[in-house]
Amino acid sequence: MYRPDSEPRPWPDSREAAVTEALSGVRVLDVSTSVSGAWCSRMLADFGADVLIVEPPAGHPLRGEPPFDDSGQSIAASWFLANKRSVALDLREPWDWERFSAFAAKADVVVSSYRPSQLRALGLEYEHFDDPRLVLCHITPYGMTGARAEDPANELTVAALSGWASLNGEAARYPLKPSGHQVGLCTGTAAYAAIIAALIHRGANGERGQEIDIAELDVMVSAASPAILRGQYLGTPVPRRESVDITSGPVPVADGYFSLTISRAHFWRDAMTVLGLHDLAEDQRWESAWYRAAHRDEYIDRVGAAMSTWTRAELFDELAARRVVAGPVLTMEELRSNEHLAERGFWTETPEGTFPGAPFRMSATPWRLRDHAPAQLLPEAGWGE
Amino acid sequence: MSGPLAGMRGIVLTQAWAGTYCTELLAFLGADVIQIEVLKRPDAWRGSYDSPITGRLKDLPTAEHSWNCNFLYNSVNLNKRCITLDLQKPEGAAIFMQLLPSADFVAENFSPRVLGNLGIDYEAMCAIKPDIILCSLSAYGHTGPWSNVPGIGGTIEPTSGMTALLGYPEGPPMNSGQMYPDAVAGFNGCAAIVTALLHRQRTGEGQYIDLSMQEANLVFAGDAALEYVRTGRQRPRTGNRHPAYAPHGIYPCDGIEQWIAIACETEEQWHALQQVLGHPPGLRRVQFATNSARKTNEDELDVAMAAATTSFNRDELIRRLLAERVVGAPVHDGLEVADDPALRERGTIVKLTHVEAGTWHQPGIPWYYSVLANPQIRPAPLLGEHSAEVLAEFLGVGPETYGGLVAAGVSGMGPPAGEGVQP
Repeated sequence: MYRPDSEPRPWPDSREAAVTEALSGVRVLDVSTSVSGAWCSRMLADFGADVLIVEPPAGHPLRGEPPFDDSGQSIAASWFLANKRSVALDLREPWDWERFSAFAAKADVVVSSYRPSQLRALGLEYEHFDDPRLVLCHITPYGMTGARAEDPANELTVAALSGWASLNGEAARYPLKPSGHQVGLCTGTAAYAAIIAALIHRGANGERGQEIDIAELDVMVSAASPAILRGQYLGTPVPRRESVDITSGPVPVADGYFSLTISRAHFWRDAMTVLGLHDLAEDQRWESAWYRAAHRDEYIDRVGAAMSTWTRAELFDELAARRVVAGPVLTMEELRSNEHLAERGFWTETPEGTFPGAPFRMSATPWRLRDHAPAQLLPEAGWGE
Repeated sequence: MSGPLAGMRGIVLTQAWAGTYCTELLAFLGADVIQIEVLKRPDAWRGSYDSPITGRLKDLPTAEHSWNCNFLYNSVNLNKRCITLDLQKPEGAAIFMQLLPSADFVAENFSPRVLGNLGIDYEAMCAIKPDIILCSLSAYGHTGPWSNVPGIGGTIEPTSGMTALLGYPEGPPMNSGQMYPDAVAGFNGCAAIVTALLHRQRTGEGQYIDLSMQEANLVFAGDAALEYVRTGRQRPRTGNRHPAYAPHGIYPCDGIEQWIAIACETEEQWHALQQVLGHPPGLRRVQFATNSARKTNEDELDVAMAAATTSFNRDELIRRLLAERVVGAPVHDGLEVADDPALRERGTIVKLTHVEAGTWHQPGIPWYYSVLANPQIRPAPLLGEHSAEVLAEFLGVGPETYGGLVAAGVSGMGPPAGEGVQP
């Protein structure tokens, strides 16, 4: 849609020399059954670790999660379990426990989602691994300590207790959790960072490993920090939006929805000029946020009506050319064919078809979906050989 | 210092939320994070120099400067030191380059052209410090046709595919209540930088990281993206529903803004839920008899659930549901999160005193290590609070030289000399 005048900045030359995966040689045993655990080990795999998932005999719960593709495979399982190998073990059976112990003896990192009581029942406490180099990361809804550690929980209850649900949605309707598996993705990414930091510490401190306790609730509370402090400074909790208009998010335009976020004076001036609302553009009082908030009834409907005649692409192009922050609501079909993402090579080809690509680009250490099929079942032995 | 990154240092040019949250998380891991802020145009999350002090802070005698009393800035900059430099002045850029050899990593979230214009891009940094790690967080990344399109959380949410997924069933697409894409970028930026730090420890090699907020957020909608690729279907907006289980929703309780989240993942939980609710006839219907029947008739189920919960006291209902092992929780607003006794006990919420803004309860460090103590939590720094300290520590700048830098508008703790607005 938008092309800048100047050439894009070239990528630093060092990318050409990219050969080493950041986590090559790191072995990860993932005994978790949660999305947060699965995303954590997916990131470890994507940056080069050899990840083995230990699935319960009935399979990882994500394998049963709808929707399914035409071959009957769960989309969620394809996404969250990709790039790893897998073995099904019943840890309560002695023979399987022996095989598990053989894998664990080779592991640098173990990822677990068991609550304290479940961990004890299975004998998966840190001491039982008897390996001072091991990094054992517990990723649970509410943490390994505290009053809620044993409470039944899922991503919905984490969204409720963290404050996030209270923020999403309309004031007149019920609160909304973040979409999809956002709790698991934020927590998995934070746990990945915490594990890498533990590996750095191990590398610098005589190969000493340790346990990490990371809770989905703590991570989502951290991510809600601005609203939590704002409520206290102002003496009233941050409410959900009163109405759907440009101050709250996307509004209807000719071919879909569009967000126009006015955070600076020139955004207002330039946007109103583009929309042909010259009296609003020229009257400087409208440039301050507090004035707009106090007189919203005088402009909201006019701006909405003016926007409704534009297509998303035309409006985005015009505003981007004036460096006004704005964004069309894009569907996955549009993102799949988006020329910016195509030029950056975001979408990734694998033997399993096209996948969304890397969350960030590192010039020296590649992100990679390897050649073997996602969550390929591991034959007898062979891990880390 | 403690935490796994103790002994590592970031000299960072982060602002607003995505960048500052990324570097706050690194400080929470124990890194010494020195944030350089621009005196002439303060961080948008500090507000402008003429912003008023609002809310409960208006009557607080210590609250002297609005730019030190903004809840936005003060919520995402814990455990950092803050120095000010005018990087557009040659002395300012020179001081940055003199500090650089003391840094392990640099992070920034300016528009893509800014570092180059200031003469401190990755190549220039490598000339001074060959193994430096630089992470750029930007709206659309540093390459590609949209690289110079400006963006913030509220516009990245729609352009990353996130907004199309959030909303009530059959309702329009919605943005989150709080610029969620910034938090996503912050977590990913932290993950990227620790990955680079590990690689440097193993090989001695630094690197450049290009983080596009659009891509990081699209990855967080990756299962919906993969669904489109595999099936050609755009995932519908489903409110609070789960793809497999029902009920799975947020329902009203007695009182204003009293909501409860309830999910039944097993038939045992469904039966326990009905028992706790007193077997309401509205739920004892054949179309709700099995999970697959409840999924098929979820619209009616949610109406019946709301009718069944609406007269209950929220906290009493939660207590009884948890006793029966039903998945449930109260919907807490931000004030209730800050007041949550279990979160305070665990250390999720900590009491912090900021020298100007006073004492409040804020989210702390979201992880615990068994061998290492977490760093002690410190409140967000005042603008330029550590300028004199940092310049003395790393460059041996004495009080007289520092005074000269303040007089020249290169550094300082408030509006630049001669250009300022009285608070």
